[in-house]
Amino acid sequence: MAKDANQSVEGSIRWALVVDLDRCTGCQACVVACHAENNMQIVGEKEAAYGRWTHWIIIHRYWEGEYPNVKARFMPVMCQQCTEAPCEPVCPVFATYHNEEGLNAQIYNRCIGTRFCGNACPYKVRVYNWFRPEFPEPLAEQLNPDVSIRTRGIIEKCTFCIQRIRRTEIDARAEGRSPADGEIQPACVQTCPTSALLFGDLNDPDSRVSQLAHSHRSFRLLPELGTDPGVIYLKGGEVNV
Amino acid sequence: MSKKLTRRDFIKITAGATVATGLAPAARRVVIEPFVDPPEETLPGQATWYASTCRQCPAGCGIVVRTINGRAKKIEGNPLHPLNQGKLCARGQAGLQVLYNPDRLRNAVRQSGGRGSRKYEPLYWTEALDLLKEKVASLSHPGRLAFLGGLMPDHVYQLTDRLLAALGAAPAVIYDLHSTLEGRGPAQQLSQAFFGTGDLPVYDLAQSDAVFSFGANLFETWMSPVAQSVAFGSMRQGALSGRGFIVQFEPRLSATGASADEWVPVRPGAEGFVALAIGRIIVEERLGHVGSHRDHAVLYQNVDVGEMSAASEVPVDTLRRLAKAFADADRAMAIPGGYLAGQQNGFASMLAVQALNLVVAQIGRQGGVFLSTPAPTVALRNKPRVNPFSDVLNLINRMNAGEVDLLIIHGTNPVYELPAATGFAEAITRVPYVISFSPFVDETAVWADLILPDHTYLESWGYQVPSPGTDRPVISGQQPVVRPLYDTRSTAQVLIDLAARLGGSAAEAIPWAGEETYLQEMITGLYGSSLGAFDARTSAGFWTLWRQYGGWWSEKEIRREPEITDIVQKPLPMSAPQYFGDPEEYPFHLHLYSSIALTDGRGANQPWLQETPDPMTTVQWGMWVELNPQTAESLGVGDDDIVLVESPYSALEVSVVIYPGIRPDVVAIPIGQGHQDYGRFAQAVTGSNPLGLLAPVTDPDADSLAWGATRVRLLPTGRKKKLARLESLDGQGRESIG
Repeated sequence: MAKDANQSVEGSIRWALVVDLDRCTGCQACVVACHAENNMQIVGEKEAAYGRWTHWIIIHRYWEGEYPNVKARFMPVMCQQCTEAPCEPVCPVFATYHNEEGLNAQIYNRCIGTRFCGNACPYKVRVYNWFRPEFPEPLAEQLNPDVSIRTRGIIEKCTFCIQRIRRTEIDARAEGRSPADGEIQPACVQTCPTSALLFGDLNDPDSRVSQLAHSHRSFRLLPELGTDPGVIYLKGGEVNV
Repeated sequence: MSKKLTRRDFIKITAGATVATGLAPAARRVVIEPFVDPPEETLPGQATWYASTCRQCPAGCGIVVRTINGRAKKIEGNPLHPLNQGKLCARGQAGLQVLYNPDRLRNAVRQSGGRGSRKYEPLYWTEALDLLKEKVASLSHPGRLAFLGGLMPDHVYQLTDRLLAALGAAPAVIYDLHSTLEGRGPAQQLSQAFFGTGDLPVYDLAQSDAVFSFGANLFETWMSPVAQSVAFGSMRQGALSGRGFIVQFEPRLSATGASADEWVPVRPGAEGFVALAIGRIIVEERLGHVGSHRDHAVLYQNVDVGEMSAASEVPVDTLRRLAKAFADADRAMAIPGGYLAGQQNGFASMLAVQALNLVVAQIGRQGGVFLSTPAPTVALRNKPRVNPFSDVLNLINRMNAGEVDLLIIHGTNPVYELPAATGFAEAITRVPYVISFSPFVDETAVWADLILPDHTYLESWGYQVPSPGTDRPVISGQQPVVRPLYDTRSTAQVLIDLAARLGGSAAEAIPWAGEETYLQEMITGLYGSSLGAFDARTSAGFWTLWRQYGGWWSEKEIRREPEITDIVQKPLPMSAPQYFGDPEEYPFHLHLYSSIALTDGRGANQPWLQETPDPMTTVQWGMWVELNPQTAESLGVGDDDIVLVESPYSALEVSVVIYPGIRPDVVAIPIGQGHQDYGRFAQAVTGSNPLGLLAPVTDPDADSLAWGATRVRLLPTGRKKKLARLESLDGQGRESIG
């Protein structure tokens, strides 16, 4: 997929996700939707306590202040799909690469599990499969046939549900059109009850994500690192009372 | 056991009806059948979507299920459904793990080694039904039959109701923990008291600009969390009129409280006092813009703001500021939540909160409280009403006294869901014969002689009237999205078969041949209504569209303005909170709350939900007790230290989570874990059911279980058990950035 290494591989589309922190209630619907769509393994209590869970989205919870003037804030963090991604150059086998649509893609069957990318990622969103996934019968029936199952020794992370992007593109092409803005929805965006998550093409000036990216509330995580993430956060509101 | 094509299934397939007709996995291994005659609607590799209704909680959200080759692969919200508008919560997303749960019962069973032995012997359905019929027919008196129901689908409830009436037996007793924790019973009574109807009101969050939530966990499990979350999204950033704010009044900062703009830590049970004080200040100081408050003065004539402030431990200045903000808002709204109902003065508190909506004239207004319109759905609205708690206690007494010969249980797990102190677990052993319809062997089914497993909801027919509803009449339709995986049978069909076998008045009351015929007849009242979002020329066409849309709803918004009863012409009752347990000996209030993922424990058998981190503590799988940092310090305990939580009734050991958002005199434990049965994933978590700690006290006004009124003490054990938290406590983990 990648073009000449001397040229930018970025094409006309840049997929981006907007996370409106003013709407997010931390409800975890996106987390479960992501599990259901992307065939992650469940590790159980003991291994989860070692930090061996495989969530592609984690909802950070930050406490502010002390009782009684205490607040808790939520921030869903998934792969930021950086343009200058620290995970990409460190992979010795080119399992993680940048695609034409601005995604950091991961080729599972190239991955040899060095976990360099996981170390390099400043957002700590790459997860490692410590075990062979187990799906006691008939739980394997839940598996999404569009997504490969990763075995032990593979690193994985949010893909922006590339299978759903492709599915919508193919369906639209069959109808002789391009997908409309907002028609492509990763599983998390589709389910988010408060519509805190929004997906679209950042290179299309008319898309909702690019308009929200210009909002005075918008910011990106760890901008000082110069990673140029494809996930755009919108700051939560101030107290009005 | 080999899976045979039953007659019903055969008819469904040949009729080209709606069932996804791929071969079920059980069948795949036994029957080798070439795809010469491929099932209609199924193309290999091509997804088919079926619209149905989520049954993970009683809200009744519409879902669409992606099926490939006859297997359900993903559940999503139905974008056309007016309630959840395409959205779904974590539990709704996890529904596939109910269907594909490895611990499901695969056929009807009889407990062969005696009750509690957990040794089962499979039964053919004809035998099972004969046994069921024999047990019902051989009762010496219909009064000796008791039916205990929980979150029953509406159509099963209607059939049960008809059958029990025809038999001359008492109506089903409805109790389940979810309804108890959300205060469904008291909310129905509140609606009755205020608006003269048992319909639950809809709180118009989307258009409100100031929401005072009194212990309502709007975005977690209370009432219709997805619809409320959708509304919250528009209230925050969607409305043209700017961003609305929320103030949350509760002793422990819930995830909903975290999304609010302000949290007011009220003394447990004193939420009503805060509402009374706010009302009094508004009326006395003539705040706001609704004109005269003369009519409302009577409500607050006995209220002293200083006393209320002292009793609730909310400073008068705060009360005044909040009263002003509430009265000055264009569209303010107060919500009496489920937590209030857990106190012994719960109903009085709920009245005081609802009265605030009256004071700011927000009843029947945009951004206020309204009722949903039944329109042509009236006939379907015979919904299970949550029974007063005394009915449950009565049933237990009757069971203990040997007055119940046959107990039938559907959709509830009372051994787990009732406080152990009520003695249900012992009473059930006194009943000569117990039948459960549970698809899983839960704590109650273990005590059943006969289990007739119902289909899971993705294999079932049905309908659900969402309650609370939305801004228009809605009926959510349910249809099988896959062929039943196993030799289970829908309870509605079992009841129909039972009636036929019994003959006489039972057969007359339930004359339908099958569940689908029954459903088709039930919904005919909707066919031809001019309101509908779809139009059919024939009733057969209507049935098809009903299934395609996943129900029926009005195209247009129709709200109903409540008519206020004479409750507003007398002073609001004031009732001091009472707690069980001596404050000297038991210094802490026990605050149980329903887990966002496991709700009342129903989700505990779904590994996706178990591994979902709790939003506030980030704990996965485990069970914990939350302590204010100050409380923890005074006890000399820290994170992960095991403490013994002891109430006058029982004690349990649990790990500590230091929680900055809780009052120092309150300790909180989530409900949902501590299963002795209910499958491998539920039993994987060590811990005890926190309901064991509760005193079986009630709110006498609403006659509901006061599950928040027990006091406890904590004793450090000196041991530790590490919780599986996403958050690492040394600040070095993956949960924090920078």
